[in-house]
Amino acid sequence: MKKSIQYAVLGIVFLIVIAFAKIECTPLYFNIPKSWPKPHYNFKTNPLTEEGFQLGRQLFYDPILSKDSTISCSSCHMQATGFTHVDHDLSHGIEGKIGTRNSLTLQNLAWSKHFMWDGGINHLDIQAIAPITSEVEMNESLENVVVKLQNSKKYPLLFEKAFGTKKITGQFTLKALSQFVVSLTTTNAKYDKVMQIKASFSEMEKKGYSLFKKNCATCHQEPLFTSDSFENNGLPKDSFLNDLGRMKISQNPKDSLQFKVPTLRNIEFTFPYMHDGRFKTLSEVLKHYNSGIQQSKSLSKELSKPLHLSDNERTEIIAFLKTLTDKEFLFNPRFSYPKE
Amino acid sequence: MLSKLFLPFILLLSFWQAVAQNQSDSLALTLKIEWKGNPLALSKTYISSNNDTLQLHQLKFYVGNIQIDFNDKSNFQQKVYHLIDLENLNSMRIPICKNEKKNISQISFSIGVDSLQSVSGALAGDLDPAKGMYWAWQSGYINMKIEGTSSSCATRNNAFHFHIGGYLPPNNASRKIVLTPKSNSLEVIVDVATLFDNILLSENNSIMIPGKKAMEIANKCTKIFASK
Repeated sequence: MKKSIQYAVLGIVFLIVIAFAKIECTPLYFNIPKSWPKPHYNFKTNPLTEEGFQLGRQLFYDPILSKDSTISCSSCHMQATGFTHVDHDLSHGIEGKIGTRNSLTLQNLAWSKHFMWDGGINHLDIQAIAPITSEVEMNESLENVVVKLQNSKKYPLLFEKAFGTKKITGQFTLKALSQFVVSLTTTNAKYDKVMQIKASFSEMEKKGYSLFKKNCATCHQEPLFTSDSFENNGLPKDSFLNDLGRMKISQNPKDSLQFKVPTLRNIEFTFPYMHDGRFKTLSEVLKHYNSGIQQSKSLSKELSKPLHLSDNERTEIIAFLKTLTDKEFLFNPRFSYPKE
Repeated sequence: MLSKLFLPFILLLSFWQAVAQNQSDSLALTLKIEWKGNPLALSKTYISSNNDTLQLHQLKFYVGNIQIDFNDKSNFQQKVYHLIDLENLNSMRIPICKNEKKNISQISFSIGVDSLQSVSGALAGDLDPAKGMYWAWQSGYINMKIEGTSSSCATRNNAFHFHIGGYLPPNNASRKIVLTPKSNSLEVIVDVATLFDNILLSENNSIMIPGKKAMEIANKCTKIFASK
């Protein structure tokens, strides 16, 4: 009799333990290079795990996010080109529809406070809603994405592994995408190796670096090569697009024609350049800063005087910019299309 | 011996009873969405006092920070946000607390979410961005979403859209509602006609960004709530 009671109690305890048992996740450590600033992203509210990262990676490469299953995040954000869309001035989405801006790269986003060319998005976790719901990108609702994922064979299990529940929500979908995207850090370019005294610049790159520091680094601050702020860099307004940039968000005329300062990492491969992709090559970009600046009230102070760089100097700057290429990042198999 | 074996079951049973009792004896804030005294129905034709003929296709809003003040100076506070959706009857009843048979002196709640929620990324439950109450191109929650059609609107499909939100000053569109019930009731009447009596749909039919116009509608929305 006594024994049977013991067994019964043991059984109940066992059942309780099982009921509260959590599926184990493998925590991931987010690596911050020495002397880099603290990331802005709050990892406490979305702790990185291998399972969350892998789920995010699956979602990132899956066209299930779009209305007709034709467009995935990677359609406009390809790894080999710094996670952006090359060859098109304006990015295109569902049914060949063309957007109004050139897709941004996805690099070192943990250090970004706001997202998009106009900074309209205030948190990485909700960034994905914009392309998913845009009529010219994926034209889908987050609500319907959740339904499609829940009805799929593969995803309920992946969500259970990552978040401990098969019940898929918008929150978990977005957080998983964030875990993948926030992990896209590029920190191993030749520039970084030179800074760590593991490599050295060529004569030309060296000259380019000092010209860069003198002429470009106020906005394209090292080591992220962006100040994460908004500037009007003197591009004449495209009369067809009539894009006022940051002003659309802030409704403040002071912000007219201001756009996010993009990072220059992997710039060699992220062409075309500018928010509307108007420049195909880096030498066109430098020519603009040299002699193409259009004066206006909201023009960046740094650009009020033309740079007056010689042909040689421009070539030297471009040589330096190419040291920002990080092949380890562009070909890291962890970030590539997940082969099952 | 035997009683020991049954103890867990007895405990479980009494717990169950306690839960069941709570459900029937609890206070709940109940919203009655109406058009001039009658329950509001989606897609039904109504006429405002401005002679706008209209049908509503969607009505959703957030209610949060509920506080009930009792006559004995005690109060009850709830920090949770609830999404009220005309298409979801269950959403109109918000369980509050145990009914202690005290007299209610004041009901207050906010319409919309506060700015902290709009800068916190992807949240769960009624605040899940999959609920369709989160802006895509500019971060922040939509506090109130009213969509419909009216022959007064010279728009595509005669549609009107009011997506009222915004968390950054000076255009924070969240509003606090304070009501003093006369009949000790937690029923809140939401008379949508009061709003459309204050809007000329021919001139004002599309607000989908934070700003001055959204602030005006948010102010008008405070007038549609009444207690019994």
